[in-house]
Amino acid sequence: MTEEIIVSFDQVEKKYEKETVLKTISFDLEKGKFYTLLGPSGCGKSTILNLIAGFASPSSGTVSILGKDTRDTPPNKRKINTVFQDYALFPHLNVFDNVAFGLKMKKMNKEKIKSKVTETLKLVRLEGFENRDIAEMSGGQKQRVAIARALVNEPDLLLLDEPLSALDLKLRTEMQYELRDLQQRLGITFLFVTHDQEEALAMSDEIMVMKEGRIVQTGTPNAVYDEPINRYVADFIGESNIVRGRMVRDYAVSFAGKTFTCVDGGMQPDEQVDVVIRPEDLVLTEAEAGDIQIFVQTQLFRGVHYEIMGQDDAGNDWMVHSTRQSEPGRRVGLTFDPQDIHIMRINETEEAFDERIEQFATAAYEKTSKGGAGQDD
Amino acid sequence: MKQKQKWATVYLVLVFILLYTPIFYLIFYSFNEAGTMNQFSGFTLNHYSALAEDARLLIIALDTVRIALLSALIATVIGTAGAIGIYYTRQRRAQNVLLSLNNILLVSPDVIIGASFLLLFTLVGFQLGFYSVLLAHIAFSIPIVVLMVLPKLEDMNANMITAARDLGASPIQVLTSVILPSITPGILAGYFMAFTFSIDDFAVTFFVTGGGFATLSVEIYSRARQGVSLEINALSTLLFLVAVSLVSGYYFIQQQQRNRKKLSQLDPTVHEKAVTP
Repeated sequence: MTEEIIVSFDQVEKKYEKETVLKTISFDLEKGKFYTLLGPSGCGKSTILNLIAGFASPSSGTVSILGKDTRDTPPNKRKINTVFQDYALFPHLNVFDNVAFGLKMKKMNKEKIKSKVTETLKLVRLEGFENRDIAEMSGGQKQRVAIARALVNEPDLLLLDEPLSALDLKLRTEMQYELRDLQQRLGITFLFVTHDQEEALAMSDEIMVMKEGRIVQTGTPNAVYDEPINRYVADFIGESNIVRGRMVRDYAVSFAGKTFTCVDGGMQPDEQVDVVIRPEDLVLTEAEAGDIQIFVQTQLFRGVHYEIMGQDDAGNDWMVHSTRQSEPGRRVGLTFDPQDIHIMRINETEEAFDERIEQFATAAYEKTSKGGAGQDD
Repeated sequence: MKQKQKWATVYLVLVFILLYTPIFYLIFYSFNEAGTMNQFSGFTLNHYSALAEDARLLIIALDTVRIALLSALIATVIGTAGAIGIYYTRQRRAQNVLLSLNNILLVSPDVIIGASFLLLFTLVGFQLGFYSVLLAHIAFSIPIVVLMVLPKLEDMNANMITAARDLGASPIQVLTSVILPSITPGILAGYFMAFTFSIDDFAVTFFVTGGGFATLSVEIYSRARQGVSLEINALSTLLFLVAVSLVSGYYFIQQQQRNRKKLSQLDPTVHEKAVTP
């Protein structure tokens, strides 16, 4: 199966005066997938969008669209459209004319423009709003106009620059579903930029986690969440407990003063590692029954669950998400399964990481899941 | 507190009386039957009919309007282009220098500008007359237009330009379908400012009108020097009325726009639609 590659970055570097914003980035975007660039502000996400849209050119390396080097292609000649963070709608035009803008620039005939705009407005559920002024639209509606304005041009790739950040929580969740649905129905490649990990996890086929001008890890939401490559990714995506540990041998790790069975391997014996356990994977029990014991310090009610913070005897901090209540000052036990433990080598490259995970985690996963099935019988 | 406010009102009224009395005095005597402003002997419209028959003055009035319309138009085109140029100047320093050069022209005394134009025209051997006045008016109107248009450009969401290019607009299409419509209010304001400045101007015009050509302000000045004729009063009255009607017209247009905006804000369906996407 050969997937069509829409955009390809090859060793791309971008410098603004003396500051290097992107450091040798390479990646491919395949047709019809939903990609997310995830990272804190200032990590170079928007620069990548600018390079693709043509508002900036790389200092070195090549950006190619559909296999062609884009060095000399101006933005208006690229079949790529953007949904901007502040929407950047034209306030002097009404909804219809805003959406029709791109088609008018291409000098398409009026009949065709009308049918296409009507169709696209229907797609974003804004039929009947054609003659509205932009000033009369709510935030969510402006968002839809901006999406329609970009989609009506039938781009090969749609760039979305933090488009949901100005909406309130409820609307934002709703738009997440809708964007995902739109993308799947139209089959257009989306490149979504955000600093919100929940958005990234909910919508993407693939997430690229960025840090200081580099792509740190690329993978499906599940992979990035369950197998973060390092402390940074683990911390950035979701809540996590990260403690220092030591690899005793393959499938055995020692932390918090004990040795536990785990599903990772491939390290040197006695290698120092970071151990990640997600707060929702920790189960609260009686102190004696727990794999480790913690002393509860604070407890917050979060609605869906309680967020319990505590410390073990070795001085590590632990965060637990539990539907069961505890109370500050109590000593409780925590249990977890071997596959909940994720081991990260310090300063491992993405290639080495992927290879190791391929080799060990899948083999171990098959072993444990078989074991689990046996127990159920 | 109340006492203070009362004094403030009295002061304000006094200032306005002081400012408007000479004008009303002048208007009043334009209806005087006697030929002087010494005493009022009876009501007449003679001065107005004399004005209507004064062919020279009518031609001058038309020339003045012609100069004002033309110079404002050309200055608006050049000034708008200049403002866009300043807006697009990347370097902050160069931008500031350009803006300062523009502002210096705006605040420097008319007499100096007029004298320097006279010098320039005689130096290059340019015939003084309609075109010299037109050129001078265009020149001093450009900075005004720049100053009216530039804030509109800066208020404009710069991402709109990016968005337009993203949607396939060529640089010229960006200019005509995004930038110009967004700054139209500024361009119109600039045009009207340039128009009134041109009609108003005496000092610069005085230097660059040759023997055969005059504008109203220059003509009124030279006639007033020769001795008071109430025809001038009549002419000034008409000019004053034109100014008043322009101001009130502008006021009503503004009022209407404001009402329209309020109506759209009061639209009861807006809230409902904001809640149900």
